[in-house]
Amino acid sequence: MLRASSLTAGGAVLLLGGAAVVGELNWRLPGRNQGYEPVQPVEYSHRLHAGELRIDCLFCHTGAETSRRAGVPAVSTCMSCHATVTAGWDVMLAEKQAALAESRDPKRIVSDRLRPLFDAAGLGADGKPDPSKTPKPVEWVRVHALPSHAAFSHERHVGRGVPCQACHGPVETMERVRQHAPLTMGWCVECHRANAAAGPGLVLPPAARAADHVSTDCAACHY
Amino acid sequence: MSERSDEPMVLPLEPSGVSRRSFLRAAGYGATAAALAACTRAPERAIVSGLSRGDVVAPGRPYFIATTCGACPAACGVLARCVDGRPVKLEGLPGHPVSDGGLCAVGQAQVLSLYDSHRTDGARTFAVRGGEGAPAAWDAPDAAIRARLDAANGKVVLLTGPVTSPSTLAWIAKFRGAFGAEHVMYEPGCASAVADAHAATHGLRVVPRFDFSRARVVASFGADFLGAWLSPVEHARDWSALRPGRTAPERVSKHWQIESRVSTTGLRADRRVRIAPWEAAGAVTELAGAVAGNAPTTPWIAELAAELLSARGASLVISDDPDPAVQSQVNALNVALENYGATVRLEEGRDGVGSATAVRALLARMKAGEVAALVVAGCNPGHAFPGADGFAAAAAKVGTVAVIAPMPDETTAAADFLVPEAHALESWDDAMPARGVVSLRQPAIVPLRAARTLRECLARWCGDSRKEGALVRDHWRDETDGGRTSLAGAFERAFDAALERGHFEARAGGPWKTRVTGPQIPAARARPDAGHLAFVAYEKTALRDGAQAHNAWLQELPDPVSKCVWDNYACLSPDTAKAMGVETGDVVRITVGAASVELPALVQRGQHDGAVAVALGYGRMGTGRFSDVGPEWLESRPTVAPGGLVGVNAAALLPADREPGATVVVRVERTGAKRALACTQDHHTLHVPAHLAPHHGEVRDAVRTIAPGEIGRAAKPEAHAGGAHGGVDLWPADHAATGPKWGMVVDLAACSGCSACVVACQAENSVPVVGKDEVLRHREMHWIRIDRYYDGPDDGLSASQQPMMCQHCANAPCETVCPVLATVHSSDGLNQQVYNRCVGTRYCANNCPYKVRRFNWFDYPREDALQNLALNPDVTVRTRGVMEKCSLCVQRIQEWRNDGRAGGPPMTACQQSCPAGAIVFGDLNDPESRVAKLARDGRAYQVLGELNVKPVVSYLADVRRKDGGGGTR
Repeated sequence: MLRASSLTAGGAVLLLGGAAVVGELNWRLPGRNQGYEPVQPVEYSHRLHAGELRIDCLFCHTGAETSRRAGVPAVSTCMSCHATVTAGWDVMLAEKQAALAESRDPKRIVSDRLRPLFDAAGLGADGKPDPSKTPKPVEWVRVHALPSHAAFSHERHVGRGVPCQACHGPVETMERVRQHAPLTMGWCVECHRANAAAGPGLVLPPAARAADHVSTDCAACHY
Repeated sequence: MSERSDEPMVLPLEPSGVSRRSFLRAAGYGATAAALAACTRAPERAIVSGLSRGDVVAPGRPYFIATTCGACPAACGVLARCVDGRPVKLEGLPGHPVSDGGLCAVGQAQVLSLYDSHRTDGARTFAVRGGEGAPAAWDAPDAAIRARLDAANGKVVLLTGPVTSPSTLAWIAKFRGAFGAEHVMYEPGCASAVADAHAATHGLRVVPRFDFSRARVVASFGADFLGAWLSPVEHARDWSALRPGRTAPERVSKHWQIESRVSTTGLRADRRVRIAPWEAAGAVTELAGAVAGNAPTTPWIAELAAELLSARGASLVISDDPDPAVQSQVNALNVALENYGATVRLEEGRDGVGSATAVRALLARMKAGEVAALVVAGCNPGHAFPGADGFAAAAAKVGTVAVIAPMPDETTAAADFLVPEAHALESWDDAMPARGVVSLRQPAIVPLRAARTLRECLARWCGDSRKEGALVRDHWRDETDGGRTSLAGAFERAFDAALERGHFEARAGGPWKTRVTGPQIPAARARPDAGHLAFVAYEKTALRDGAQAHNAWLQELPDPVSKCVWDNYACLSPDTAKAMGVETGDVVRITVGAASVELPALVQRGQHDGAVAVALGYGRMGTGRFSDVGPEWLESRPTVAPGGLVGVNAAALLPADREPGATVVVRVERTGAKRALACTQDHHTLHVPAHLAPHHGEVRDAVRTIAPGEIGRAAKPEAHAGGAHGGVDLWPADHAATGPKWGMVVDLAACSGCSACVVACQAENSVPVVGKDEVLRHREMHWIRIDRYYDGPDDGLSASQQPMMCQHCANAPCETVCPVLATVHSSDGLNQQVYNRCVGTRYCANNCPYKVRRFNWFDYPREDALQNLALNPDVTVRTRGVMEKCSLCVQRIQEWRNDGRAGGPPMTACQQSCPAGAIVFGDLNDPESRVAKLARDGRAYQVLGELNVKPVVSYLADVRRKDGGGGTR
C-alpha cells in the first residue's frame, strides 16, 4: 500500500532531480533569454565593425527603418567590403611588402575567419567564383527572439528615433552578440510608460513622443 | 505493499490511504520539478541571410503587386499583398476600370487555391484513360502531344472556357493555322445566349457592358447580377450607387426582379415578382409587346412597362435565360427603350464569349468520330456538360485528348495527357473584359508547381520556346509598334507603367455601326403535369460553376440566401414541401427519365411552387479530400462521408439533347432518409428565444427599414439610448479616447449580402475552416457574419442583409465579466482581445448581446499544410481554448501608424473588399471624417442601442419601397 509519506518522498526526489538538472543548465524563467550569447557560424565581431570602424547599424540591418524586421545582411553586403579586405590589416600589409621586396604581385590571402563567408558566396580563396561551391546563405543563430504573439516593429521604433542600443545594449562593444535586455513584457511596458509620461528612462526625442503617443494598450503589440 | 489476497480490492478512503491533501502536495512537488526542469532555453532558431541584397525585398515588409483575378471572365483588378515573396491577401485594385477597388468572395479566396497542394506538379501521361497518370518530364508529353496533333491535322479541336486574352487569342490563331484546328469556347450560364442574340439583332457577337449606374429602372428576369451573373463586382458597385439613401432622390433606381427561385439579387430588389420557370419566356415577350404598345393582360407587366417607358434611355432589362430567342426579345426591349449606348454598351462589350451551339455541334462530331484530337483548357466539360456522361461518352470516340487543368478532374478522367495549368497568381496573362480595356496579370510568387498557361502550351506545341512573360510582352510590343525598334524604349516604359497600374486602355477595334433587326419568338415552354416540378439549376455566389469546389473558404461560406454551407440541396417552396410532406433536411430523390439524384430538401420561402432549384458546381471529383477538414475528436463526424463528395452534381440530371431554356420536368419524392443541412442563419441570433423572452418572444429591431420618403426626416433613432435610461449610467466615462476613436458605419441599403467581406476577413485574420460537423454545432469561426432578415410575404419576399461583427462597445459587456482581463478597452476605442491572457471561460461570449465572439474549441489545423502559407504573418494564430473576434483589423491600424499615418485612415479588410462601398471605417473623433459624418446621418442607428452598451459600429437603416406586393403571372 502506498503511503502518503512515500508519495511525499517521491515528490521530493523529483524536485531534487529537477533542481539538479536545472542547476546544470543555469536556470531561468521560461522564455527569458537575457545573456544568451550563442556561437555563430561566422566569427563576426560587432566590436570591430560597429565599434572600432564605426559602421552604422543600418548599413547592414537595412530593414530596421522600413520593416518590422531589421534583418541580417545579405552575403553580397559583406562582400562589398570583403572582396577587397580579405584578411587582417597587418597580414595584408606584410604580404604587400613581401611582394614589393620580391617584385611580384601580392598574393590574395583570405583569413580563416572569413572562409565561411567566402564559402557562402561560392568564392574560392582567390576571390573568384569556385564552380565546386554553390552559393549558400549563412544560417546565423537567432539571438533576439520574441514570442509569436508579440508583434514588434523595428520600423516603428527606429523610425521614431529609438536608438538601437536602447534594446540591444552596447553592441558596439560586443565581440559576439549577446542578448542584453530581458525582452520581457514588463521590460517593454516599463519603457513605454516612461516615455508616455516623459518620466525618467526616456529614449525617445520629445518631438517623436508628441507625434505618436507611446501606447500601453494591449493591442499595441498583441493582435 | 500488502500481500496478495483474493479479497476484492477496495479503494481506501481516508484515513488509511493517500489523502487528497497528500496527493495534491505530491502532485505539486512533481509539477514544480517538471516546470523547473522545463526552464531551459527555447530551441535554437536560425536567421537565414539573403545571398544578394538586390533580389531581396525587406524581410517582413509587405508590398503590393497589381494583377488580374483569374476566377471568371469578368477579370477584376487585384492588388496582391505579398510578404516575403508570397501573396497573403488579395485586395480589390482601386482605379481598375472593371472593379474599381472591390473584389468578390471568389476573387478573395484565390489566394487559398494558389497554395493547394493537390495541384498537379509537372505533366502526366495516362497509359489508360481514367488510370493513374505517370509523371513525365515536360518535353516528353510535349513531343508526344505534338506528334499526335500532327497526325490528326485538320481534325483537331481546341475546347476552352471563355478566352478574352488578346495574346492567348493570337496564339490560338497560330495554333489553328499550324494544326488545322478549330477553336470552340464553352461558357456556363447565359452569356452564350446573350452574345448569340446580339449577333442576331445587332450583328455583333458580344456580351455588352451593362451599366447599372445609369439605370433608374432595372428589370432583371432571373439574372443574379449581384451574386454570380457576368460581372457581379462591377454590377454591385453600380447598382449600390443608385440605391435610395445613397443618391439624390431623382436619381434613385427602382429594381424589379422577376424570378422563380430566390436569388441574392432578388432579395434586395424593390419589387420581386415570383413566376414559374416555364413562364419566363412568355413574360419577356409580353413585356416587349407592352412596351411596343400592346395592352398586357398581366397587371404587373403593365406596371413595369409603364415604369420602363417613363425612364427611356435610363432603364435596363436583363435576363439569365439560356434561350437566344428570349435574349433577342430582351434586346428588342432595350432597343425600344433607347438603352443602347446608355445602359447597354456594345462598344464596351466583351468578345470571347462561349457558344452553346458550337459546343453542341462539337459533341455531335466527337460522337460521330470526326474529331481525332481534342485539347481542353480552362473548362471542365466532364463535370459541367449536361447528362451523366455527356462528355465522357463523346471523348471515348476521340483518338487523343489532352487536358490543361490545375489538377485531375472529371475531364482528365477521359484524357491521355494532363498538362497542369498555372494558377493566376503565379503566371503572366492579359484579359480584355471590355473592348478597349486590357487588364494585365503578373506573377505574385515564384511558381509553386511546374505548370503552364494555355498560351505557353500552344506556343510550345507550335515550336516557340519563349517564356510566358516574354510571350505576353512581345505580343503587345508587336501590337503597339509593329516591330519598329525606334519605339522600343517607349514601349517598355509604357508597358511597365501599365503593369504597375494593372491595366491599360487599348485601341478599341471592331465595327460600331450596327444594324438592328427584330427579335425571334421564343418557343413555347412545357408546363409540368400535376405531381411534377420544373427543375431550375443555378450558380451559387461562392462556388459558381464548380471550378472553386476545392476551396475550403468558399465551401464554408454561408450562401447569402439559404445560409447553408458544405452542401447543395433541393430548394422547394413551403407549400410544395408541405404537400409532399417534406421538411428541411429530408432527403428527396429528383428523377428525370432514367437519371436521378438524391439531395436534402431545403424549404425556401419566396420560391415558386412549381420549381425545384438545385445549385450547380457540387459533386466535384476530389472533394472527398474534405473528409479531413475540421478537428478530430471523440464525437467528430466527417464533413464528407468516406468515398463521398461535397454535394451532388446537378448537371448530370439535365437531358443532354434539350433545347436551351426548355423546361426540365422532374419528379421529386421523399426517400425517408434524412441529412442535416448546416445552415448558420439561426446561429448566434440576436433575438431572445421564445421560451426565455417576456410576452412570448421579444422582437428586437436589429434591422430597421424606412421608406424612401422618410430619408432625412427620420427622427434620430438614438432617442432612447440616453432617454430610456433617463441619462443615468452605471458605467464610468473612463474611456476618453484622446487620439483617434475608431468606428464603423455599415449601410444596409447598399449591402447585397454578397459575402465578399466574410472571405476577406477570413483571409486577413487567418480565420480557420472548421468543417460541416462543427458548423452544425454552431462553432463556425467567421469574425463577420451576414444576418439575413426576411421581409414581406412569400410572394414578393425581400430581405435585409446585415453584416455583423464585434461592435467594440464603449460599455462592453464582455469586458466586465472576464475574470482575467483578457478583453479590455484600448485608448483608441477598440475592444481588445488578448489571446495570451485568455483562459477560455467563455463568459464574454455568453454576455455578448451581438453574439460575435468565437471560441477556439480546438486547434484547427489546415486540411492542407501548404495552405499555411496563406496565413497572415501580421496576425497571431490562435490556439485551442482562447476566444477571438473582430479586432477592426487592428494590425492594419498599427501598420498605418508604422507608416507615419499616410494616405487617409486605414481600411479594414471587409471595407476594402466591399464592391458596394457599404462599409466605412475611420476616426469618429474627427468630425470631418467620412465615418463621423455618416454616423450623424439621419438613417444611422445602433443595433441594440437600448442596451446602452454604446457600440462604435453604426448601421444606416435599409430603405424600402412599400408600394405593393410582388405579383404573379
